[in-house]
Amino acid sequence: MVPIQHYLWLAAVLFCTGMFGVLVRRNALVVFMCIELMLNAANLTFLAFARQRADNLGHVSAFFVIAVAAAEAAIGLAIVIAVFRSRGTLNIDEIRTMKH
Amino acid sequence: MAFSECLSQASLADCLQRFFATAPVDPAGMAQSLWLIIALPLAGAVVNGVFGKALGRSNTNLIACAAVAGSFLLSVLAFWTLNDPQAVLSSAYRRDPIPYAIGEDFGTWFAAGTFRAGFGLDVDHLSATMLLVVTGVSLLIHIYSTSYMGHDEGYWRYFAYLNLFVAMMLILVMADNLVLLFVGWEGVGLCSYLLIGFWYDDSAKAWAGRKAFVVNRIGDFGFLVGMMLLVLWVGALELQSRGTVAQPSADPWRVALLRSGPLNFRGLEEASRRIAPETSQITGAIPLDATIAQGPLAGFSFGSVLTAILLLFLLGAAGKSAQLPLYVWLPDAMAGPTPVSALIHAATMVTAGVYLFSRVSYLLVLSPTAMAAVALVGALTALWTALIAFAQNDIKKVLAYSTISQLGFMFMAVGLGIFWAAILHLVTHAFFKACLFLGAGSVMHGNAEETDIKKLGGLRKEMPWTWATFLIASIAISGFLIPLSGFFSKDAILHGVHSSALKGYAWVSPTVWEIGLVSAFCTAFYIGRLYLLTFEGKRAPDARVPHAHEADWVMRLPLVILAALSVLGIFYGIPLIHTSAGWETVMENFLSPVFVTARQLTRLFGTVKVEHEGSLLAAWAETWVIALAGGGLAGFLYLKYFPSPHRAPLPAERTVLHWARHKFYVDELYELLIVKPVRLASFVLYKVVDTLLIDTIAVRGTAWVTARLGSLLRYLQTGDTQSYAAVMVLALLGWAAYALFQVLR
Repeated sequence: MVPIQHYLWLAAVLFCTGMFGVLVRRNALVVFMCIELMLNAANLTFLAFARQRADNLGHVSAFFVIAVAAAEAAIGLAIVIAVFRSRGTLNIDEIRTMKH
Repeated sequence: MAFSECLSQASLADCLQRFFATAPVDPAGMAQSLWLIIALPLAGAVVNGVFGKALGRSNTNLIACAAVAGSFLLSVLAFWTLNDPQAVLSSAYRRDPIPYAIGEDFGTWFAAGTFRAGFGLDVDHLSATMLLVVTGVSLLIHIYSTSYMGHDEGYWRYFAYLNLFVAMMLILVMADNLVLLFVGWEGVGLCSYLLIGFWYDDSAKAWAGRKAFVVNRIGDFGFLVGMMLLVLWVGALELQSRGTVAQPSADPWRVALLRSGPLNFRGLEEASRRIAPETSQITGAIPLDATIAQGPLAGFSFGSVLTAILLLFLLGAAGKSAQLPLYVWLPDAMAGPTPVSALIHAATMVTAGVYLFSRVSYLLVLSPTAMAAVALVGALTALWTALIAFAQNDIKKVLAYSTISQLGFMFMAVGLGIFWAAILHLVTHAFFKACLFLGAGSVMHGNAEETDIKKLGGLRKEMPWTWATFLIASIAISGFLIPLSGFFSKDAILHGVHSSALKGYAWVSPTVWEIGLVSAFCTAFYIGRLYLLTFEGKRAPDARVPHAHEADWVMRLPLVILAALSVLGIFYGIPLIHTSAGWETVMENFLSPVFVTARQLTRLFGTVKVEHEGSLLAAWAETWVIALAGGGLAGFLYLKYFPSPHRAPLPAERTVLHWARHKFYVDELYELLIVKPVRLASFVLYKVVDTLLIDTIAVRGTAWVTARLGSLLRYLQTGDTQSYAAVMVLALLGWAAYALFQVLR
């Protein structure tokens, strides 16, 4: 049986990859994918602990995250498409509106 | 029993007596309806003030006069009710009901801690006298004003203010406690200010209003502080005397103090009965010189605190009643319309100080020092302003100084404990001075608003009604030739002052008496001068109009009634009633229930001693000769010796006239000593505190710091979500590292 540490290391690597992507990538679509990566890292952690403690609560949480992520992906992709249609670009440096 | 029925059984005199001693209405019902006397003019003020312009001139006149007339009728009813033996006031502060008084407690007005201020009206013979004077004279002046202000655009404002004044004055005289009295006191001050500055387009008149307001404020400040001290004083008295009675909870005074507050007049009267002389052994009483053991006044004696309270009251009364040193506002108050001068600045409001001291007579007689101060202030004011009146050429200014001088006479009487004489003079003065002022208004009306008596003259034939009434009122005030009401009231004061002595201040009464005699001489002189220059002789060549016109009957009617009252007032000043103590004047007898406590305390403490009962006839003769001399001198000077008003004055006369004409430079002195330093201090405060500290440093400084901080912090706000996220991550990492460090350690 694979020890839990391996899962956790994998989840940490995935999370850091995702976080790094969110922080440095300029394409909104890629940023979006990186967020999915971070969510899945969290899912992996939930499942690893659920398996170790033989507790189904972790599975429930993972399903929740998947459901929320699906909804988020639907809305997020819609926004991405809308932004691309109106501005013709997905570079987040060019579509910032929080500062004039 | 009906009057006609009675006539068949008893004599006419008995029936009349019985008729007037039966209340026309139920006394309890009258007591409950007392508020209507105030509410009527108040409603008139509201209606005229809000809708007056839309209602038009005639409707406004009607509403204003009808409101005051209703008040007057109700006052007559209240006055009549008081004669009924069934009209008794059961005050919460004492066990036995009070005869010859009605009143109603409408409950607590406000409460703070253990302090209570009640809202109650109380009418006894003193209040009833004031009620009749206030509403009666007001009614006449309202009627007069409908003609006098007949061409003024601000008629609705005028009548609204006038009605409001009447309401406030009625609150003042009917209030059953000092706090409510203070409401009226401030209210009449406000109306006085509004009416002095009635023609506010003229900046001099607006300034005169402001001067009156500010000077009054100085007095009111003293009054207010006195009131607060009185609250503490009553509290200390209650606390200290608690141990001397067997059952404090059964004492109605203590119970009522908690429920209705310490400033109720009946409560104060009851408090004054708990004070006893040092030597006497009255149970439950505190000696006057006992030291206050507890509370904020600890260490002072009851007597000394009371003296301080009364001196503060004197400051308030001096402001309102225009006595030294605060009299300077009244001459300037003549800037208002003349009927206002007659009503507010002669007949009613300015007598508030005299009324106040008569109301708290039982406290005043406990302090000979305060009494001496009141008497001396009155005497000095009477003489000082009579001297200024010598050289004034403005008809209204002469009358204003005369008013101050006559108020001084009333203060003399109050100061020596002859309260009834002060009130008698107050009443007669209201009649003849209102008549004089309205006469002056009529003169101004008929002479194109000319007020300089040097430019009038010879009006006797042109304005016969005004002349006749003015003459009667002049005789009444001066006592010249024929003794009329003013002669008897003034003589009652002088005679009373002469025959009494203050405890510890034996020199006061002879001094006051002598000053009073000189002032009476001066009164006759300046009134004679005023009358002669205005009505006798030839018409001045530089008059504004060649022929004066007589006023219409609306203005003549009040003049005639007031002149008649000035004559009929004699009735109250002559000893007609025989009592066990000897002959008493009608007024003295009528007011005796009001001053019963004051009289008992005076006897108990020996504050005022009647030294010698001089012959009243001799006193009358003396006063008469003095008045004759004063009037005669005026006649000699202005009819025989100086027939022309435009001659060059003699050198010695010039100096005297110069000083008197400039009012002894008192206004200039106040300007130098008070107004200038206050202005300077205000300027410094304005420049340093307001402009520098508040405006520059506090207000603009705060804005500057905020703006600078903002522009510094702006660099952090890039608007880049990723950098914000990076900061969040870094912070999170930092916290994680910290947590890790803590766990590992």
